[in-house]
Amino acid sequence: MKKMSLTIVLLLFVAMFTMPSMAQDMVEYPSTLTECEVDLTGETITIYHFGDLSGAYAFITQPIVAALEDAVKYWNDNGGVCGAMLAQEFEDTGGDLEATQSAYDRFTSEFGDDLDLVLLYASPDAELLREQLAEDEIVSLISAGSVEGLYGEDGQTPGWLFATNPLYINQFGDFCEYVSENPDLFPDPVIGHVTWPGAFGEAAATPAGDEFCTNLGVEVIDEPQIFLPTDTDILTQVQNVVDAGATIIYTNTLASGPALVASTVVDLGLEDDITLAGVNWVMDTSVGILGQRSLKANGMPAVDSMYGSQPFVWWTETDEPSVQFVTEQFNANERTPAERNIGYLFTWGTSDIIIEAYIRTINEAGSLDAVTGAGLRATLESMEYSVMDGMFPFSYPDGFRDATQNRIAQLMFANAEMSGPAMSPDEALMIDDGNGGQIFVPIVVPLTDFQETPNLRGGE
Amino acid sequence: MANINPAGVFDTKYEEDMSIDRTPRDKMWKNLAFFLLLLIPLFAASGPLGIGLISDQYVGLIIRVAIFVIAVQGLNILIGFNGQISLGHAAFMAIGAYSSAIIVRELGLSFWIALPMTAIITGLVGLIFGLPSLRVKGFYLAMATLAAQFIIPWVLRYPMEDLTGGTRPLSVPAPIIGPISAYADDTLTDDTPLVFDAGDPYFVDVITVELTAIDGDYPEIQIIDPDESVIPTGDFNMSFEEDADGNISRMSYIATKHGEHQVIIAPEEGTSTFNAHVSRSKALSFATDIAYYYIIIPIAVLLMFFARNIIRTRTGRAFISVRDNDLAAELLGINVFTYKLRAFFLSSVYAGIAGCLLAFERNSLSLDMFTLAVSIEMLAMLIIGGAGFPLGALFGVTFVRLLQESIIPAIRPLLEDNLPLILPFVDTVNIAGALNPILFGAALIIFLILEPRGIAHRWEILKVAWKIRPYSY
Repeated sequence: MKKMSLTIVLLLFVAMFTMPSMAQDMVEYPSTLTECEVDLTGETITIYHFGDLSGAYAFITQPIVAALEDAVKYWNDNGGVCGAMLAQEFEDTGGDLEATQSAYDRFTSEFGDDLDLVLLYASPDAELLREQLAEDEIVSLISAGSVEGLYGEDGQTPGWLFATNPLYINQFGDFCEYVSENPDLFPDPVIGHVTWPGAFGEAAATPAGDEFCTNLGVEVIDEPQIFLPTDTDILTQVQNVVDAGATIIYTNTLASGPALVASTVVDLGLEDDITLAGVNWVMDTSVGILGQRSLKANGMPAVDSMYGSQPFVWWTETDEPSVQFVTEQFNANERTPAERNIGYLFTWGTSDIIIEAYIRTINEAGSLDAVTGAGLRATLESMEYSVMDGMFPFSYPDGFRDATQNRIAQLMFANAEMSGPAMSPDEALMIDDGNGGQIFVPIVVPLTDFQETPNLRGGE
Repeated sequence: MANINPAGVFDTKYEEDMSIDRTPRDKMWKNLAFFLLLLIPLFAASGPLGIGLISDQYVGLIIRVAIFVIAVQGLNILIGFNGQISLGHAAFMAIGAYSSAIIVRELGLSFWIALPMTAIITGLVGLIFGLPSLRVKGFYLAMATLAAQFIIPWVLRYPMEDLTGGTRPLSVPAPIIGPISAYADDTLTDDTPLVFDAGDPYFVDVITVELTAIDGDYPEIQIIDPDESVIPTGDFNMSFEEDADGNISRMSYIATKHGEHQVIIAPEEGTSTFNAHVSRSKALSFATDIAYYYIIIPIAVLLMFFARNIIRTRTGRAFISVRDNDLAAELLGINVFTYKLRAFFLSSVYAGIAGCLLAFERNSLSLDMFTLAVSIEMLAMLIIGGAGFPLGALFGVTFVRLLQESIIPAIRPLLEDNLPLILPFVDTVNIAGALNPILFGAALIIFLILEPRGIAHRWEILKVAWKIRPYSY
């Protein structure tokens, strides 16, 4: 019943944003793609990917598959890429590293020389496969960013993984910069990490990050407080960082993680004393919806005004051609409301990067058969590109293999006029949750323009 | 299960009755199976013969099965032979994995020394967590060992962070034997780069640079890999010697990446003359699955044999008597506590070896590899395979891994195509994720109901039926 209610709410939410665009003409693909110099008619370019589609990352990753499915369909319906049809091949690992290794072994032995590029979703997978990808000369695009996964233990080792988002530690550094630049918003800032365990969860809690923030006048509490994705009670963890003096709680989690942190802060009556912030996955529909189970004293959802990174455009930035196009595709493919999230949006961008990388490499190599992992790697290293004409900038200068541009944003809830965020429940746009109740409509409000992130990967 | 001889074969000595191979034919089949197992990589696509008769995927699968067979065999010694229980077996694997990585990285010792050291270290840690077995058993002992699953990762994550990297992954070098043959010697006297190809997958190159006859400041030694990156001195394939002033006079690097390498001696300002002696030699590398297979399989077979042999010994008989009735065992003069501790020690030794082998197979270690879920999965593997049977671990691990890695991927497309037609509310994306826990759980329940003694028991019944054919009644 709860699921159905959520579905109805999200359907209304989607309808609200999409009605105006449906009345318009078909939106053209916002292409900045390079011209094809080779005709690939009769050939197939396969996008290979595997990762956790059913575990803790499922909220983000399931829409990735949906977006790739839609992108493949769109390109194939429109003549393909340089005449070549697109296809996708994927496997669910459930977040289990044994299954990840097995999937990698299967892909490498089954697809052999055709496997030049693979999409991964999670930092633990990147850390596990880093050496193996280099050994097999397979390029990987990943929507995750732990230092060790991308750059090895020393932060400087060459690799074959390229992240479409900034390193988590750099996002944390970027947030510290924002905090230090806004002393009126953050007087006497002390940050405590309350986060998941592991390569993703603890990626923002490093000595380099702590030192960087401390130098900016933002104190960081040494030891992160850890909770499991399956935990439902984290009073102790939150209380521990509060007792240690935290005024800001930073969480490197997604979906239920930030919602649990926020509701715990509200339960402890600390909402006026503690500011919440997190990684880019915090700025998502799933957090906006899950974070409404607990309300602040002013009646707004617990996750209202949570800070985070926003290295991609968001659904509400309807001036962006990429957002207009993806929204249209989303509706045309009758996607479920739960898929209208950050994963669906940026995966269209990722597919655009893959297509551009293939076109450039094929133009250079002369044919699809001549494309190698090394060729794609060289292309990605030198590519300066505006993904889907503005979804996010893509370039890897000076040996970087993660995105270097980021924005700081806030997760808020729409006002009744849909002209901006609501400051109180009275101003908020409330829609029926299908169960006799009302629900807020989450939006992401960028606070800064795209700017260079600090480089905290170390080893220099 | 009685150990039955074929019709017409009689034991005339006690040794014959206790022998592992009851007939010469038994021995021949086992040797043949081992020999065939060793041949598998030769027929793999990336094997030295390049035949491609067997997919590389299956070589990787056999390696993973073998590692977990060793770990589950350890659990079998504890649970199946001795009647104790452990819910922290993955944590003991973590001890093995991390201690071997630390021995190699920090002490500079080779894999071949790290492996036995790791076994002993893990065994000693196992003894500590076996101590509660003196006072508690059954459910309470399970809870006590569960503590290991929380305490050990915590210790590795926080107090030992400097050595283990905490939550960060730890790189582990591939095992090598050598250097076995020197093949090139060069001398550099200026900053002209020495360029050469290196990095054969089976015979890696060991590059050693030694500075002599330096007049002035020490020049910097740079080794550049095929990615045109200078290898940092922190790289785990790099070792070097420093003098009292911190100058590097000797540097050694194992080149594992295939392609063009360079050695450059970059003189500092103030250096007038120097001699850099660059020697290159070959070492046998076990970096590929094909090569590593020949480490894993003999060890797994040896440890299986050892476990099989234990139950023929005084210790094994004491284990079994403690399992069957510890009070009666004590009345017979068996020191129950000692034997329980021995079982914990042996079980942990097996887990440690498995952890060490896993670390060197993956070349990367993280605590996410040793969660409670892995401990429980190993327990389920043992139940499915048959606790108390030497072959139980082999059957259990093989069954579960085949289910996960071959059967589920094979039936998934069929379900994705057809299930939504029957049950429209099913999302095809979720099918793959749901299959693993559903089928794994179903297999466990089916075995608990229909064959609680596991596949190995069924195998023994089949063996007996075959041996006494045609008089199976």
